[in-house]
Amino acid sequence: MIVSEQLVSNLFYGALLGSVYGVATMGLSLIFGVLRIVNVGHGAFIMLGAFTAFWMFTLYSVIPILSIPIALIFGLALGFIIFFSTIKRLIDAPELSTLLATFAIGIFIEEVAKFVWGSDYVGFSWDIGTLYLGPVTVPYTKLLAFLCSAIIAGLLYVWFTKTKLGTAIRAVVEDREGAMVCGINVGRIYSVSFAIGIGLTVLSGVLVTLFVPVGINVYMGPDYTLKAFVIAVLGGLGSPWGAFVAGFLFGLFENGSYTLLGLIPGVEPFALTRFVAFVFLLIILLIKPTGLLGGE
Amino acid sequence: MRGKWNLLIVGLFVLSLLVTGCAQQEQKPEATPTPEKKAPEEKPEKKVETMYFGAPISLTGKYSKEGQMSLWGMQVAAKWINDVYGGLKVGDKVYKVEIKYYDDQSNKEVVQSMIERLAVQDGVKFILAPYSSGLTLAAAPIAEKYGVLMNSHGGASDYIFEQGYYYVVQTLSPASKYQTGFLDMIKKVDPNAKRVAMIYKDTEFSRAVFNAAREYAEANGFEVVFDKTYPKDVQDLSPILNELKAANPDIIIGGGHFADGQLLTQQLAELKINVKAISILVAPALPKYYDALGTKAEGICAPAQWEVGVTYGPEAAKKLGMDYFGPTQDEFLVLFKEISGSDEKPSYHAAEGAAAVLSYAYAIEKAQSLDPEKVREAMNDIEFMTLYGVWKIDPETGKQIGHEMVIIQWQGGTKKIIWPEAAANADPYYPIPTWEEKDQGKLAKH
Repeated sequence: MIVSEQLVSNLFYGALLGSVYGVATMGLSLIFGVLRIVNVGHGAFIMLGAFTAFWMFTLYSVIPILSIPIALIFGLALGFIIFFSTIKRLIDAPELSTLLATFAIGIFIEEVAKFVWGSDYVGFSWDIGTLYLGPVTVPYTKLLAFLCSAIIAGLLYVWFTKTKLGTAIRAVVEDREGAMVCGINVGRIYSVSFAIGIGLTVLSGVLVTLFVPVGINVYMGPDYTLKAFVIAVLGGLGSPWGAFVAGFLFGLFENGSYTLLGLIPGVEPFALTRFVAFVFLLIILLIKPTGLLGGE
Repeated sequence: MRGKWNLLIVGLFVLSLLVTGCAQQEQKPEATPTPEKKAPEEKPEKKVETMYFGAPISLTGKYSKEGQMSLWGMQVAAKWINDVYGGLKVGDKVYKVEIKYYDDQSNKEVVQSMIERLAVQDGVKFILAPYSSGLTLAAAPIAEKYGVLMNSHGGASDYIFEQGYYYVVQTLSPASKYQTGFLDMIKKVDPNAKRVAMIYKDTEFSRAVFNAAREYAEANGFEVVFDKTYPKDVQDLSPILNELKAANPDIIIGGGHFADGQLLTQQLAELKINVKAISILVAPALPKYYDALGTKAEGICAPAQWEVGVTYGPEAAKKLGMDYFGPTQDEFLVLFKEISGSDEKPSYHAAEGAAAVLSYAYAIEKAQSLDPEKVREAMNDIEFMTLYGVWKIDPETGKQIGHEMVIIQWQGGTKKIIWPEAAANADPYYPIPTWEEKDQGKLAKH
């Protein structure tokens, strides 16, 4: 009985965390899909989002929900600046150049952030109560993180399928040259996609703080980068909503497998949960090498 | 023509002499602050000489902050010995103490060559170990090879002292003692609290701490009802905490470092896991912990090597029937400000560094010798107190057994020292308020 209660609770938390993972990966996937650039400095932008929420809350008492649009605007601006200063020159460069450039941008951002915020672990406390739902005890902030993630993913989906710009972006993802022939301004699509990708990533940093409002540190990024890579591959590189679904599943597997592994005597279940999540990734890729929602 | 050249060469020579002379004058006070008051000169029969304690200090690199703190602590102790105590009396001589230090760049290879340089070139017989277990472990075989004493003030790992080194001794509490003081305290305040849950980060340091804690708990009548680790870059502890909740413990001990310590507290609060007392490694000892968590931090305990405010002093020593040696805490704070030139409060690293210097001084006077072997022998029998706490080593391994970790607890937004009784400035708040009570603003304040 206790085991099933734990399982329900863990899956519930896994779903909430997974949705945040999903949004935190969509930007990476979008940038890869359109520009064929792997953003190795991805985590640094998540960190910027987390600090945005932290600063807005501690300095101006702005609740994290309201920091979401602020982070998005900040991220969009940053995305355009980085695109026109660096990425634009690297679009047709060899892969190693873009890897090095994004890696360098990540380090640069981390060090500037360290200069501004210092190297301490900070956090804030925004309590809006707790929901007791049978065996599940969950603070409303985590539910909000889930809700916001789902809304953002939904809005992005609508934007991609219903608007002209969204359709143009999809066209470039599918066939760069074909899109160019059809009269799409590919250069503009590049800059817009990169900015949206970075904007989404910075925004997801705010969602991360809604889920875990402590442990915010300038070097928190790389952990998220690694997970984002795995989730992006799982969802099919270049497919933002594939990334969202994959993030959701990754969260479920990571948390859900804990309860089952805990039933094996003499095992440290937590260390194995990630192992299980990666095995799951391997199996999916064996069945469908392009990822869950990836194209052919 | 030739005369002109000669004149020029002589001129340059004189100039270079002047420059080097000035440079030396400039360097001198940097190495050791010149004492303002001279040692008592009314005893002309005693010759005053200088004795050097050597130290590789991490002034740059990842331990630069800790390194600087420990250096200031050492310099405070040396200044106290020279100016207040009047130097070390060995036979008919009086020795002033100077700290001879080099920057080890927080680097293992550099540390080893620094120890060699101190022992061979500088002829130093007493070395203050570098900061951190890793660097101390690298330095130990070199000190042992040259037969110079080495005093660890920043290497907590028990492993260093299980390698059979004779010349390596320890001033700070080893990792194995980090959570045992908390268990002692619980035993005293509530003998009925038996069920212990352990939840900690899967790293070498935490494992060392909690393996020792488990043994200690079981030997002292506690029942370890939960004992699990979590990986180091974890973002969600809820699965493991759901399982912990089902174990229904009385007290929780756990943690590992900064980020996970904050996360652990946050998620214990979210899942409303109420217990009577909680002790977490590292994180709660820092002011940022309370800034981040607010009232959720109320009542949470953490072990610490030392804190400003401990009540170790001549009176506490008298109660325990031992000597007190070195500056009192107030004297230490004044001297620290003078030497560091800043308003920053000393961290425990400074107190550790000072205690290591004081332990050398005390042992040298007891041994009445400057021979490392004789001083090491004398160290086996000494037990005394400094501002940092009790100093006594295990004769066999050199491991520190006298010093106790202090336990801090957040009470009403301030860090109070609640254990051991000799150092405490407040009573433990027990049992701690529940998370629901804390949500309504209840503080862990008497």
